[in-house]
Amino acid sequence: MFSRLVLRNARRSRNENLIYFATLITAVASFYIILSLGKQDVIFFLREFESHAIDNLLTEMRVVYAFALFLLFFLILFANRYQLNRRSKEFGLYLMLGMRKERLVVQLLAEGLVTSVLALAGGLLIGGFLAEIISLAVSKWVGQGIIGHRFSLSASAMFFTVIGFLFIQFLALAMLGGKLFQQEVYQLLNEQMDKKTDVGHVKGNVLHIAAGCLLLGGAYWIALRHLADFAGLLVFAAVALGSMGTLLMMRGAAKLLGLLAVLSERNATKGLRTFTLRQFQENIANRSTSVAVTSILIALSMMLIANGASTLLSAGSHLYNRDASLYDFTVNGAHPEAEKFLTSAAMAPYVEDLNLLEVGRMKAASQEEGALVSFVDWSKLREQLIMALPDKDREQWLSGEMQGYTISLENPEALNLLGILELDARTPYLIPESSYNGLLEAIGRPPLSLHADEMALYFNPDFVPMDNLDRMPVLDRILEQAANEGQRLISIHGQAIDLRPSVPRRGLVADRSVEIYSAFIVPDSMFEQFVNKETYMSYWNFRIPQKLQEQQGLMQPMMEARDILQSAGFRFESYLQNFGRKLFYVVAGSYTVLYLGFLFLIMACTVLALQFLTQMKQTRKRYLTLTMLGAKREQMKKSMRRQVLWTFLLPLSLACVSGAVGIKTMASYVMNHIENKALLYPVACAFACMVVGIMAIYGAAVARTADREIEQLRWKPDPDIE
Amino acid sequence: MIRQGKLLEVQNVHKSYGKKSNLTKALNGVSFDILPGEFLGIMGPSGSGKTTLLNCIATIMKPTSGRVLLNGKNISAFDSKDLAEYRGRRIGYLFQDFELLDNLTGRENILLPVSIHGMELAKARAKLQELADFLEIADILDKFPSQMSGGQKQRVAAARCLISDPDIVLADEPTGALDTRSARTLMNKLDGINRSSGRTILMVSHDPNAASFCSRILFIQDGVIFHELRRRQEESRELFYDRILQVLAQLGGGSANVL
Repeated sequence: MFSRLVLRNARRSRNENLIYFATLITAVASFYIILSLGKQDVIFFLREFESHAIDNLLTEMRVVYAFALFLLFFLILFANRYQLNRRSKEFGLYLMLGMRKERLVVQLLAEGLVTSVLALAGGLLIGGFLAEIISLAVSKWVGQGIIGHRFSLSASAMFFTVIGFLFIQFLALAMLGGKLFQQEVYQLLNEQMDKKTDVGHVKGNVLHIAAGCLLLGGAYWIALRHLADFAGLLVFAAVALGSMGTLLMMRGAAKLLGLLAVLSERNATKGLRTFTLRQFQENIANRSTSVAVTSILIALSMMLIANGASTLLSAGSHLYNRDASLYDFTVNGAHPEAEKFLTSAAMAPYVEDLNLLEVGRMKAASQEEGALVSFVDWSKLREQLIMALPDKDREQWLSGEMQGYTISLENPEALNLLGILELDARTPYLIPESSYNGLLEAIGRPPLSLHADEMALYFNPDFVPMDNLDRMPVLDRILEQAANEGQRLISIHGQAIDLRPSVPRRGLVADRSVEIYSAFIVPDSMFEQFVNKETYMSYWNFRIPQKLQEQQGLMQPMMEARDILQSAGFRFESYLQNFGRKLFYVVAGSYTVLYLGFLFLIMACTVLALQFLTQMKQTRKRYLTLTMLGAKREQMKKSMRRQVLWTFLLPLSLACVSGAVGIKTMASYVMNHIENKALLYPVACAFACMVVGIMAIYGAAVARTADREIEQLRWKPDPDIE
Repeated sequence: MIRQGKLLEVQNVHKSYGKKSNLTKALNGVSFDILPGEFLGIMGPSGSGKTTLLNCIATIMKPTSGRVLLNGKNISAFDSKDLAEYRGRRIGYLFQDFELLDNLTGRENILLPVSIHGMELAKARAKLQELADFLEIADILDKFPSQMSGGQKQRVAAARCLISDPDIVLADEPTGALDTRSARTLMNKLDGINRSSGRTILMVSHDPNAASFCSRILFIQDGVIFHELRRRQEESRELFYDRILQVLAQLGGGSANVL
């Protein structure tokens, strides 16, 4: 009998309150997704290169899980409270019939267990499916065939999901159950679990709105203008001000709605407008805090999702942009064994375009009073570059106003070059012509064939932004003009030197072993003459043969070559590390952020939905009265739909403003790694719209549920007459 | 004062609940008429069917058989659109527990039927003022129900049920939730409305005190009308009250009725 009652009640809970059940399933699914992250294809792949960083990431994910558990506890508490409130009359009846409270607790927990088991089954299924989809989608999108997909089911993730979910579910039920039994039977029977709404005394006033506006304005101002001040500590100030502002705005909004209802007497005779307004006001007034919290959550979710999505979406071009990166492997040191090994039978199939890169800094001419005297005189080139600056920058440069600058794509080319040469040109890096010719040969270009008094300027495309790898328009124009006029813009050790324009530029090594911004490419003899032996370094670069790539793809032979090199004990780096590092940034930068973004969004939507339906339930009698006064079902549905719309729109509209400010701020401070800024705003906007879309779906679901409630309204004058 | 012709005709109304094996007959062939301007009371013990009768007239329930005619129209056959029109506009309903919306001010509550059915603002305003003055609620119009006393609430509810000029007011135990003084004030007001503007009122009540304001009383038992009392011309309310008590004594507690 008992078990049948439990099963039947659990089934009824599911059917009657789909949103409650959906909340539980969502919670389970989200736990599984976060916990099974370690089994994702991308993570498997990255483990091979960045195992330490991945371990850190997974540890971080555990913190995220704990955080999600904490957040979803409140959601589940809320959902359960809603569910129990619906049934308070029934509980009162059980007690009236002589059921002991302890037994009722046991029954509640048993029902909770049945519902939880089903939610777990559904949630794990959905979570597993989603995790699989995410894994596949990311490995296809970001991995583009490099990362293989394997089906994975994480037993440990399932285990911890079950534990975590049951823990919060029972904690919530126990807390609510305890509260339930402090109520008198009378209260339960009369469904007065919630405090009766006291609309007469709305807390808050119009001053709250003014204060809210002021605080929000302050938060936006800090976010947009002064975020970087005080070492970024102002972020917290902006968040605190923004949250306080939102709270006050919502509190004031309730009062404002009341005034609106009073003032708009003209509306009083037009349909259910006053009723609609009052219902909405009540919903906001009594729960202004939670409405404000949902608004904040929505704003956060917009920012996080926009950020994560643009990181992930721009990853494709970012990761596979090999324009500048030429070599697949770089082996350190010029020792003969290296060359011997690289040309050996074992390695040969993997090696093409083997080239020795030598590099070193130029010696100083002399040292006078601790200051270096340089061989290089580039004052004429400097002059020309300054002349080539846009007017505004030139004035700032000449007046000494420009103290520091960052090298970036937004700067004019001349400014970037000036900045780099100011730093490097006194003792520049030197690269012998023969080394660079090897590189040029690999990309199918003719060798430089420099004259004895000729050199070329090298800028590293890995660090210096350039639109075109074969030309630097401003520099080349200056150099060509000088050549035409027979002018020499640079001299080394008193000898005037010609500068070769239009030199193709590529990355010098496979990854990062050479971190230089600029270098002089000089004839081999000049290299010998001027190089500072203490700074001399050499590397063997090579590429995976084109044919092999066509047959097996890039990654497969690269992994094989890597294994062989590793077993031979050489110090080397490969493009894989470069790729893996970039990929890691993408994964670390987008996963947590997207996850939290969606979590916040779902929480906000669920809270709004449950809140509205709770109110609907509590004020059911009002709709009955309206029926008695002759309101048509359609009129009531229209009023109710409008209430749903406003309930979602109020927090959303404020969130949109805050979200927009947040996205703008992140675009300038956080999302610096995204190269394609032009794409950033459309992507961010698209995803912000998606947030709005998801809310609209929730709104529609709520409206449908409420529609059904209205359909089911029947006037029952006597409870004993059905 | 009293116009000719029947306002409401209840013709052989039956209402039963439940299935065959478990059939409860709440109304078992009730017939009566109400003339315009009448103040009709319906009394009877619990379970006698008086509330069912009122609900059938208020279109909250459909009779199992029989007809209810308002101004000659069979309202028991109305569809839902006509019903919505009928409720609130043609009838005003006064509830035992007021049924004011507690998130609306008194004024907003009173204007609710007007806004549902649509009425000119100026006309509604004038009507509201008139009713508020008569019912002595002008100074609480902007209060919320939680800030009003029970009597005030019921008078606001009365204003709400009168604002759309209904043909008939149906009152279901309107004094049931009020103390003696408030009940008397309310009944005086209803009586005044009935006398001064000839408003027809049909009231269901347990309370002989409230019923003594009526011009005619039907007594119902076991789903049938078994007695009728008319207040004689110039008969004082006290005398009418005594006669009501006598009938009630026979009906429920009279020694002749002891089984």
